[in-house]
Amino acid sequence: MVTLWMDGARVTEKPDNLAALMKQSLNGDQRAYANILQETSRFLRPFLAKRLSFTNEVDDLLQEILISIHKARHTYDGNRPYKPWVYAIARFRLQDYLRAHYADQLRHADDLSEMEEYLHEPVTESAISYEYISGEVDKLPEKQATILRLMHQEGYTAKEVAEKIGMNESAVKVAAHRAYKILRQKLER
Amino acid sequence: MGNIDDLIGKLAKDGTAVKPALHPVLLSLEWIAIAVCYLAVALMISGIRPDLMARLHDAWFAAEIVSLVAIFIATSLSAALLSFPDLHQMRRFALVPGIMFILFALVMYFSWQADNPPSRPPMHSVECTLSITLLAILPAAWIFYAMRKFASTHPNWAGSIALLSAFSIGALWLRLYEQTDSIRHVVEWHYLPMIAAGFAGLWLGKAILKW
Repeated sequence: MVTLWMDGARVTEKPDNLAALMKQSLNGDQRAYANILQETSRFLRPFLAKRLSFTNEVDDLLQEILISIHKARHTYDGNRPYKPWVYAIARFRLQDYLRAHYADQLRHADDLSEMEEYLHEPVTESAISYEYISGEVDKLPEKQATILRLMHQEGYTAKEVAEKIGMNESAVKVAAHRAYKILRQKLER
Repeated sequence: MGNIDDLIGKLAKDGTAVKPALHPVLLSLEWIAIAVCYLAVALMISGIRPDLMARLHDAWFAAEIVSLVAIFIATSLSAALLSFPDLHQMRRFALVPGIMFILFALVMYFSWQADNPPSRPPMHSVECTLSITLLAILPAAWIFYAMRKFASTHPNWAGSIALLSAFSIGALWLRLYEQTDSIRHVVEWHYLPMIAAGFAGLWLGKAILKW
């Protein structure tokens, strides 16, 4: 059993297990390759879930990492532990993803003080009547439309919506806020 | 989950036999051998400084050349390690150029102290930087081309080390060719630009070593 430290987390693996499986894969054994990719996605999922908020983000990034592993498989020779190699790729792709994600968020960021002010407001008490704008709500991106529907048609609080769709409460409020902005712009035209 | 399973199926289907990459030590030896040939050809064309043998008897000049060669070897090994996503699990060796640069800085400091009274600097200045840059272009192109075949997870660092490696060949060539004893001149126009190239490599690596 090999024990290594990666990102403050202990990584253990039986050297004759994953490394051998990957070695077989490099020799063209497609079944071994499918097995190692399955096993890799199994242990990477919690690693990514701990660092990302949404399930769909985890899936997207996991796919990207698996493709990267595939592209870089010639840089692994089967003579050293497999997990540190995989985690190096996973961490690299995660950083890339987060960088792009935050850059995107910055592009769309609203004024911080406005946002902070908003987060303290009860989002379910919007001045806009849902029935009046339901047609416009349906044209919103799916996530935003779902959030507004749950909050205004079904009467859930932001916290309840967050639990229901697997997001955190602040993210629900931010999404709702963005949806209001889009609706307001549309209605003001 | 379904998407992941589909993807794994597709990748497995595409999982033909692959020849593992050379060990980074062998890889760096290959790069070093190519660079030595290139340096030899460059020196054959330009010629060697006529006082080289005499200068090699000066301890600080010899130490400067040895530490420059050490930088070249260390950066070559480090660049090879940085081409692998996990640095081939030899991270400590990738940091060796840092130690070599400290040693080199010490050697240059003592050489400067020993250059008393200071030797007269040559008439030219930026020409040296341009010559080093021109000579370093081919090794830099080669090393980036070679590194792109791998999968670096530290592209900035890798780019910086790659350029330092290429420029150390240029600096070595010029020191063996140009007949100057002014330490101030070589620091200003040979070595500081080489370090500046290392900083430029941070950006270049990010742009070139994407995968």
